[in-house]
Amino acid sequence: MEFAFSREQLMFKKEVLNFAKKEIAPRAQEHDLKGEFDLESFKKMADFGILGLHFPEEYGGSGAGVITTALAGEALAEGGADSGFLLAYGAHTFLCGDTIFRNATEEQRKKYIPKICSGEMIGCMGVTEPDAGSDMASMKTTAEKAGGKYILNGSKMFITNGPIADVAVVYAKTDPTARHAGVSAFIVEKGTPGFSAGPPLKKMGVRTSLTSELIFANCEIPAENLLGKEGDGFKMASQTVEWDRSVLLAPTVGSVAYLINKCSRYAKDRIQFDRPIAEYQAIKRKLAELKIFEEAARSLVYRIAWAKDQGQPLNHLYASVAKLYIGDWNMAPMNDAVTLHGGYGYCQEYDVERVFRDGRLAAIGGGTSDIQRMIISRMI
Amino acid sequence: MQYEFSQQSNELFEALESAISNLDIKDGQADDALLRSAAASLASTGYLNLGLSEAGESPAMFRAMEAAAAASPSLYLKLEVSARVFGRAVAQWGSDWQKEKILSPLLFGELLGTLALSEKALNVENDPLQTMGEKNGDAVVVNGRKQFVVNGAGADCIAVAGTLDGQGALFLIPKGAKGMEMGPPISALGYESAGICSLELKDCAVSEAQVISGLKMDDMLDMLRFWENQVLIGASLGLMKASFEEARVYAKSHKTGGRPIIAYQEVGFRLSDMLTLHQTAQLLAYRAGWMADAKDKEAQALTLCAKVFATEASEKVSSDALKILGAKGFSTPNPAESGFRSSKYGQIAGTSTEISRMKIGDAVLGKRK
Repeated sequence: MEFAFSREQLMFKKEVLNFAKKEIAPRAQEHDLKGEFDLESFKKMADFGILGLHFPEEYGGSGAGVITTALAGEALAEGGADSGFLLAYGAHTFLCGDTIFRNATEEQRKKYIPKICSGEMIGCMGVTEPDAGSDMASMKTTAEKAGGKYILNGSKMFITNGPIADVAVVYAKTDPTARHAGVSAFIVEKGTPGFSAGPPLKKMGVRTSLTSELIFANCEIPAENLLGKEGDGFKMASQTVEWDRSVLLAPTVGSVAYLINKCSRYAKDRIQFDRPIAEYQAIKRKLAELKIFEEAARSLVYRIAWAKDQGQPLNHLYASVAKLYIGDWNMAPMNDAVTLHGGYGYCQEYDVERVFRDGRLAAIGGGTSDIQRMIISRMI
Repeated sequence: MQYEFSQQSNELFEALESAISNLDIKDGQADDALLRSAAASLASTGYLNLGLSEAGESPAMFRAMEAAAAASPSLYLKLEVSARVFGRAVAQWGSDWQKEKILSPLLFGELLGTLALSEKALNVENDPLQTMGEKNGDAVVVNGRKQFVVNGAGADCIAVAGTLDGQGALFLIPKGAKGMEMGPPISALGYESAGICSLELKDCAVSEAQVISGLKMDDMLDMLRFWENQVLIGASLGLMKASFEEARVYAKSHKTGGRPIIAYQEVGFRLSDMLTLHQTAQLLAYRAGWMADAKDKEAQALTLCAKVFATEASEKVSSDALKILGAKGFSTPNPAESGFRSSKYGQIAGTSTEISRMKIGDAVLGKRK
């Protein structure tokens, strides 16, 4: 067993870190306050090559492996890119882009993947519904085959990038009488009659990631917009779990590294009772808790990323352990970071409160912690 | 990067599990006869060699430690202090003569050693060692008191940590040496068969050849604590493994309301949390071990992270196991209650979790000793 990153990976991580510090972090707070998506930074991510990092070069990507892609996510967060922005990137590249790439025809790949890589199109994925969250198979959105098209009816909820997406991967029932086997996946483009997005939802955190409802009212799409075969939808949605448990968790590792840097600097500068608060044991304890969580989370995330790079089938037990730990154990050290900053920690000026608010999503999005517990308990 | 063990390691683990299963371990007992039989048996698997060479085997070492600790915490502690603390001290600092006399029989399971380090308190972070040796001709005369010596009465040789000529030293004192008096084993909360006792040295004379001297005190203490911490991390992994297994098997077989209790979310979800803590602790341990092998500058900090995490997780996991086991768990002996009682030792001994957090905090702040 060994855990070294290659020299190239470490160099790349440093480049991404510097990129994030310079190009993204300076605008993070402003966009969070306004609840706006940072399109300018998104375009810069595209120019840097991050949006298409893992796609093959022939489609506009860089052909990077999973570990490298996870390192990029970690470095972006460590460099100060906020979790909302990174969630938007994740939904665009992996939940939408990768689903298309893996399951599309060559024609569909050529049509969409280069634009996903360049950021010319922004992607989203619609699975969750107002009454179908953890129980995905109970979704009500239908896709009725009618001649050379499908007619979609229903709605999706909590869709990251919903208000701004140009292309959506939408899951709907082609067989409403079946559960998982009745779910199929479709590509729906913005502007398709009958397809609209609701206004952005007001959220506790990840405010720079715009989230909304997607509404389908007799929305007609060409039959060739079916991804893969009818009934394959659940399998496709499950495949996104692999990204969810590795690359999309990596930013949490980076966020904690970001907090550690902030806390460390603040603790050295802040003088109380004639000495820097860094000298007090209560402060050192908080720094230690952050560090312990960071290292624990890192180990879990890269176990998944490494296995995916080896081409191994997803170990669902490991994946759920990673998601559960990061989702449920992250809030205490993030809370410590806020407390360490005292009154300033409660103000938006110092960013730590944003990271704390953003961190709350980890136990909910991409499969709740209790769903992870259910998966684990069924496997043991 | 490689998250899987090599075939060689897997073969060692198999041999180890087989050797363990052939030992007649009853209710966590670890008397001298069983200990020596276990030492010889496990030595044949290569288990005792792990961590003593430069081969970079620490992740495998932790995996193997977990298996041994799960079988019998007290037996594990005695074996580990012998091989992984005493043995490594001799391997690292010993003279050629000392290595020849001690290491070979140790690695064949024919000799058991231990370390006497703690004095007034279980840790020695703030107070300097009082145990002192003074040269007298060809001999060194040692005086001092030590507490919390694992297997003090049973070990063939005790490495007593102290000072000689103002520098760090380990006095390798054989069992029964004149001037060394062992106290009775303490009645401990956990590791009840580990024979933890005190000892007193009154003008105990050893030949100079039996002394490792000229060590920088801070470095000696750091290294001894580091090895102790690794042993305690391994112990915690084993306590978790045993507690979890006991609870898991019970939850899948014990029925109430017509179904196994694992089907109830309160039980199933609790087991999920336990497994999550256990696996996270394992990975932290493996990474910390690898970093130590690679002499990474963050190795100390990560080892302390692993120690805090694993020792505290072992208390949580064993406590949760007891809740799942219900009345069965409350009846002794069983691995969960033994694990629960023993877990506290891991948090106190070696570098305590409180001091560990301070050192981790210092590392984060960029402070160097």
